[in-house]
Amino acid sequence: MADSTLTGIPVATGIAIGKAFFVNRNHMANLPRQIVAAEDMPAEIKRLHAAFKDVETELAAIREQVPEELKSHGSLIDTHLMMLKDPKLSGAAAKYIETLGLNAAWALEKAVSDQEAAFEAIRDQYIRERMQDVRVVAEKVQIKLMGVKTDLSSISGRAIIMAHDLTPADTVELQVDKIMAFATVRGGKTSHTGIMARSLGIPALVGVGRLEEVHDGDLVVIDGLTGKIVVNPTESELAEYNERAALFEDYTRKIRRHCHLPAETFDGSRVMVHANIELVEEVTAVLDNGGEGVGLYRTEYAYLNRTTLPTEDELAEKYIDLAAIMAPRKVVFRTLDLGSDKFISTFGELNETNPAMGLRAIRFCLKNPQLFKTQLRAILRASVYGNVSLMFPMISGVKEIRQAKAWLAQAKAELRREGVDYDPDMPLGTMIELPAAVLIADFLAHEVDFFSIGTNDLIQYSIGVDRTNRHVSYLYQPLHPATLRAIKLVVDAAHQAGIEVSLCGEVASDPFCVPLLLGMGIDSISMTPQAIPGIKRIIRQTNMHDCRLLLKDVLECRTVSRINNLVMDNIFKHFPEEVTFFSSLLENDELPS
Amino acid sequence: MTDENNKTDEAPEYLSRKVFVSSENGLHARPAGRLAQEAQTFDSDISLVAENQTVDAKSILDILTLAAGPGNMVELRARGADAEAALDRLEALFLNKFEGA
Repeated sequence: MADSTLTGIPVATGIAIGKAFFVNRNHMANLPRQIVAAEDMPAEIKRLHAAFKDVETELAAIREQVPEELKSHGSLIDTHLMMLKDPKLSGAAAKYIETLGLNAAWALEKAVSDQEAAFEAIRDQYIRERMQDVRVVAEKVQIKLMGVKTDLSSISGRAIIMAHDLTPADTVELQVDKIMAFATVRGGKTSHTGIMARSLGIPALVGVGRLEEVHDGDLVVIDGLTGKIVVNPTESELAEYNERAALFEDYTRKIRRHCHLPAETFDGSRVMVHANIELVEEVTAVLDNGGEGVGLYRTEYAYLNRTTLPTEDELAEKYIDLAAIMAPRKVVFRTLDLGSDKFISTFGELNETNPAMGLRAIRFCLKNPQLFKTQLRAILRASVYGNVSLMFPMISGVKEIRQAKAWLAQAKAELRREGVDYDPDMPLGTMIELPAAVLIADFLAHEVDFFSIGTNDLIQYSIGVDRTNRHVSYLYQPLHPATLRAIKLVVDAAHQAGIEVSLCGEVASDPFCVPLLLGMGIDSISMTPQAIPGIKRIIRQTNMHDCRLLLKDVLECRTVSRINNLVMDNIFKHFPEEVTFFSSLLENDELPS
Repeated sequence: MTDENNKTDEAPEYLSRKVFVSSENGLHARPAGRLAQEAQTFDSDISLVAENQTVDAKSILDILTLAAGPGNMVELRARGADAEAALDRLEALFLNKFEGA
């Protein structure tokens, strides 16, 4: 038996076997606390200042290497540098050595606590959060004082990087060619770690409990297909994983060979397969994996990890790049889908008790028209460079969409007056992710040119379940009869009105769900780029006729378990290989009923 | 008594200038960092005063704890040989919303 098996959320597929290397481990548990003799105090103060200076030098060197496209991370490093140079922090620590005789690391701990107290009184949450930055730089100095080596460049050979959390600032320090996989304690499906890993083509797990138990140098297996980490596996486990990794590699190679062929069923029905991305850099992955366009560009990323709002030019530059590189393929820009909680520093705090149902997405944009219009103008400017569409998230009613359209019209009028080109026929769509939108899909269909069904939120809102809450996550069932009826209702309403409908939730890349989506007549599906080859392969080996028959049977089922069994039987029969390498949303423990 | 002491300590020797925080997020990390960085290049003692709170302009942490929001008025005070030059420099920073030099 292996020493232990840990579980996390897989955010990038693949299997990696290698030595663990922990960065950002929580060293503070072993902080030395000693009293220094009076005659040793001057030396201890010297040691403190030297450690500050060393960290400053290291950070300044890193600052020099930050590439132009990660400029926003650069400013974070600038802040950290200024904190290191701040006489308040090192001065307060030196004072504790002088007056109380504490050792340097302990004295700095006291100085940080004092600073924490000063920050706690501040009303501005953004500024309160900067305390984390003070912690980060102080910890770097303390680690230096403790003589712990955490130099990322000291990784010998290739390693599996483990961390409590990996921030964009950390990742600029990593030598990517030495990294085989990532595993972190914190983070969710959309965290930076996953984006990094996917762009590097290595597996990654986030949200791994008990990860801190892994020691540097332990042999670990990272299974980015099932979300498992096996620590110090036995010979036979190792052999098994080696074989699995080789098989997966063969399989990936095989499916990628054909990934540029159209997703067309045996009996000639064609579905477009697009990618969900959040960074322009991901287009390589889209094209390499046979993506026929970008079905969802999440514009949020440009607003995160920074303290100021991006300017119109800044956004336009990104959007134009993306549109131009993908042309003539489609790019669908979704306007900002964030909650007000991400903009406290700009718009103040709202103190919402239930942000999931609060001022988010389109509601937030309509409340902050200037921010909304900046985005609309940037997207319009990009529309002449490629095949650009626009869609609004979280629409709940006709009035809301008309308000959003009014702002779009105003943005167009402004650009016209300024003599700036845009595509007047840019298609406009709406996400369908609220039950309210499902039930009035026929009305909404007359307001827009296309629908995009966001199943992740639709499932959560219609079943009333937070999938990250482990007490009720078993209820998150993509093939719940209600979900299936909702999707069908939307597809039918769209086609009745003569508009196209796509689907961009995780369901789109679940091999078990895809045949049902085909049977419903979805025009396009959009997913993480890495999933495209496998899903295309499934579609290319399917019969539309069979999908319709399966759907008919499924729609008559009254329970999730019955539906899941039906679709699983169908996939096991036709696609045994896919089942080996894909984890499915259906593998969700149901309570015994 | 203490008040009087403070007055005699500070009163005649420092130069003062009032500025408005025009950066859209107020004195947040980046502006605070820029301000401290510039202040550290002068020998004079420089402080920021807002709402009866006086902080060291050479300390990013101090400036952050001031939590001056957009539109707030802040007083710059400098005492020393290069006080005038320091105030010119820091005032320019406020006026340029902390962009550029």
